[in-house]
Amino acid sequence: MDMARLFGAGALALLLAGCAAGPGGSIYIPAATPPDYDRNSRRAPEPATPVPSPTQEPTEPATAQPQPESEPSPSPSYQDQGEALSGAAASLVRKADSLLAQGNVPAAIGQLERAQRIAPRSAEVYFKLAEAYVAAGNLSAAEQFTLKGLSLAGSNDAMQRAGWLLLADIRRARGNVAGADQAESRAAAR
Amino acid sequence: MKKSSSSGKTSRKPSNKPASAGRRAWVWGLLGRLCLVGIVVLAGWMVYLDAVVTSRFEGRRFEVPSRVYARPLELYDGASISVGGLRRELELAGYRQGDGRRPGTFQQSSNRFVISTRGFAFSDGVEPRRRLSLSVVGDRVSGFRVLSGDPSPIVRLEPAQIGGIYPAHKEDRILIQRSDLPPLFEEALLAIEDRDFYEHVGVSPLAIARAMWVNLQAGRVVQGGSTLTQQLVKNFYLTREQTLVRKGNEALMSLLLEWHYDKSDILETYLNEVYLGQAGVRGIHGFGLASQFYFGQSLAELELDQVALLVALVKGPSYYDPRRHPERAKRRRNLVLDVLADSGHIDDATARQFQARPLGVTGQPSFTENRYPAFVDLVRRHLARDYREEDLQSEGLRIFTTLNPSIQYAAEFSVRQTLERLDGSGERQLESAMVVTSRDSGEVVALVGGRDPRYAGFNRALDARRPIGSLIKPFVYLAALQHPDKYTLVTPVHDKGFALVFDDGRRWEPKNYDGEERGDVPLHLALSRSYNLPTVRVGLDVGVDSVVDMLHELGVAEPISEYPSMLLGAVSMTPVTVAQAYQGLATSGFNTPLRTIRQVTDAQGEPLSRYNLAIEQVLDPAATHLVQYVMQETMQEGTGRSAYYRVSQELSLAGKTGTTDDGRDSWFAGFSGDWLAVAWVGRDDNGATTLSGASGALPVWADFMASVPQHGFSPVVPDGVEYHWVNPQTASLSGKHCDNARLVPFIAGSEPTATDSCAGSLGGRLRGWFEELF
Repeated sequence: MDMARLFGAGALALLLAGCAAGPGGSIYIPAATPPDYDRNSRRAPEPATPVPSPTQEPTEPATAQPQPESEPSPSPSYQDQGEALSGAAASLVRKADSLLAQGNVPAAIGQLERAQRIAPRSAEVYFKLAEAYVAAGNLSAAEQFTLKGLSLAGSNDAMQRAGWLLLADIRRARGNVAGADQAESRAAAR
Repeated sequence: MKKSSSSGKTSRKPSNKPASAGRRAWVWGLLGRLCLVGIVVLAGWMVYLDAVVTSRFEGRRFEVPSRVYARPLELYDGASISVGGLRRELELAGYRQGDGRRPGTFQQSSNRFVISTRGFAFSDGVEPRRRLSLSVVGDRVSGFRVLSGDPSPIVRLEPAQIGGIYPAHKEDRILIQRSDLPPLFEEALLAIEDRDFYEHVGVSPLAIARAMWVNLQAGRVVQGGSTLTQQLVKNFYLTREQTLVRKGNEALMSLLLEWHYDKSDILETYLNEVYLGQAGVRGIHGFGLASQFYFGQSLAELELDQVALLVALVKGPSYYDPRRHPERAKRRRNLVLDVLADSGHIDDATARQFQARPLGVTGQPSFTENRYPAFVDLVRRHLARDYREEDLQSEGLRIFTTLNPSIQYAAEFSVRQTLERLDGSGERQLESAMVVTSRDSGEVVALVGGRDPRYAGFNRALDARRPIGSLIKPFVYLAALQHPDKYTLVTPVHDKGFALVFDDGRRWEPKNYDGEERGDVPLHLALSRSYNLPTVRVGLDVGVDSVVDMLHELGVAEPISEYPSMLLGAVSMTPVTVAQAYQGLATSGFNTPLRTIRQVTDAQGEPLSRYNLAIEQVLDPAATHLVQYVMQETMQEGTGRSAYYRVSQELSLAGKTGTTDDGRDSWFAGFSGDWLAVAWVGRDDNGATTLSGASGALPVWADFMASVPQHGFSPVVPDGVEYHWVNPQTASLSGKHCDNARLVPFIAGSEPTATDSCAGSLGGRLRGWFEELF
């Protein structure tokens, strides 16, 4: 089991921290109708926009009614890569790093899960979780978290390379030589 | 004995009244014997009582109920929360509006907050006390600063307690130690209840005499004569009956208790045992819980007037109940302050200052037993996998759950608001359920079990198994799209009726919802418009078993029938099971087991079990991306588009409607960037309604999405997926500016090879050139 290399790949992922945010990303939208209403009076809040009564709604399927011409329909959204770690999430990752260095793996995973909850679309958080699971000796979880990180790396070549190398090491450690070679060639292709 | 009988003999002769002298000697002899028997019996009784006292006190483990906590609120720059949401969270966690300096208080001026945290020992690290300053702008935290205390860019507040798991006798307590007592607490308690506590041996004749004297002087009962030890014995070992025998036992046991144990042990046990109030069927025991119950604060935080009130309650928690009899309670509290002044612990001015304060009890207990019965129900079912009920009821475990109070609030609100509106439109007896999970972690953040969220009855989110209708369709098409050689989003699928004839002669003739047939339609349209006929054709082509297998891989544990009708959702699931299955669709094909518990610790905070995030890639990420595309199209153009009457156009969402025959079940399942939500509306008697998925469950879902600040859904394009401009009508490559052009994702290599006439034409290119110019 090539642990040294494993941590090497992890260190690479860490080096990448903070670089390359995706274009656009998931747009944050404040609440349209904050549910702040007087609980005792059971009075509904005034909606910000006029809401048609349910009877006016299109029923399924909706194609029977033509789309209003004035309403341009946006197209489905996608992005080329995940999001960078926010400052708060990065601080939790650093805290996890020092816990890992102290050998306190469960607490490190606890901090990384906090980071994951506030930065769930960042590839790095998942690569870090993979590292922590390697330290915990749970290679199958480590592999899954690497795959999740890769699913968010998108067009970020450096992130892709780090992820595939990490995956290659984990697979080799699990005895999956073919899978490791395949992952390594994916890394080389980036 | 011998001596006495012989003296009887010797005294017989000289006596003038030998008969009466003999009788007297006989009586004395009998008394002597009785006395001896009495001593033996008493000694035996003492030995018995001693055993009772020591065994109970040695093995003195209070049955402490388990406490269930919401997830702690994380505060940092960019954290998603509204002004109202932050206030509610603070109040739920027992914070009071104040100077923002005393721990447990906050100060608010419009959107600016100063919060003084109490600190909390999480098992993965301690959050020390801090003073925080922040603003809420556009439903996000900004300008987050730690004013005092350990600096950190992110801080967890103490989690709010949302419930408990109580033993059958419903005694509830929070264990405290003497070191948790606020200043003057012990002085006040002893001054009013047992002035000679440190001198007496368990019973105090002096105290009884003094109490009688004081009470006579006052003309009413001011002091009791029982020592704390006696009160403890009474609560701890004896029944409530008032008999002489019991009084005797109480005194004897008090002596024994004092003989065996030191004062400190006895006092600490007393502090945790004393009965101080009642919340429904739940008995409030000990000062630790009483402090929470009456003030929403921990004992150590209390000020002198609050200390005095708790001490005042010992005499009669019901008679002096500060919520029901505030005047009585206040008189008694002020008496305690007077006694403190008389005994020299405080000066008169201080006493008057605190006597002038209002009682300051919270309007209602800061946590009720059953604020989130549906969610706690699911927590208990998850706990039952690993813990015995007895341990949960008695070991004082701390259960840290995933409940997000803000999201729960929005979910409850949406269910209630929509159902009231539907009532108004003539529907009757409608019920509803809703499950909300965190999209990427599978944490259940909110659960609504019915339209009355406080009612701890039938939990529809967990127990209403209903046919899911068209909610099945994304899985059918996902199974097909995993074969890119055969199916892409623009592959024409046949929207035309047909009949299946089974071996036993039964016929099945599926129909479209609107009864129409449209001939060939592109696959993406068949899904976003929820056409039945093409779905069955595609499903039969890829195989019902492949759809069933997929659902099992996504975590659906129940057996699923492999009849063709399952392709139209003739398969029953609970809302929670639907949420589980959709979790894989919402992520890029990762099965993420739903969790309600992050961690269980013992009473000291040592971790017993962790329930970590677990994921497993079970679906092809590329095919999943294609289905996510169509689920977004469903919201923008298809059966889900009425959601945007309520939700901002800018919030990209993905979802699917579901309706069963005669509107018996109205479903909606979908997700944003942050949350996955499943809503169901129908009747408990399974009766028909006039609703469809779009008119029943969708408004619940859309109201929820509109009232929660969050990120839109915008998936990262997976490896091996490419977007192309195509004309779906002709299934050919096209150009951005051509008629009917759509930007559609394809698994690389499966895009159309044919090019439509517009793509390469001069007209098309010119139009594009001009549009980009202006």
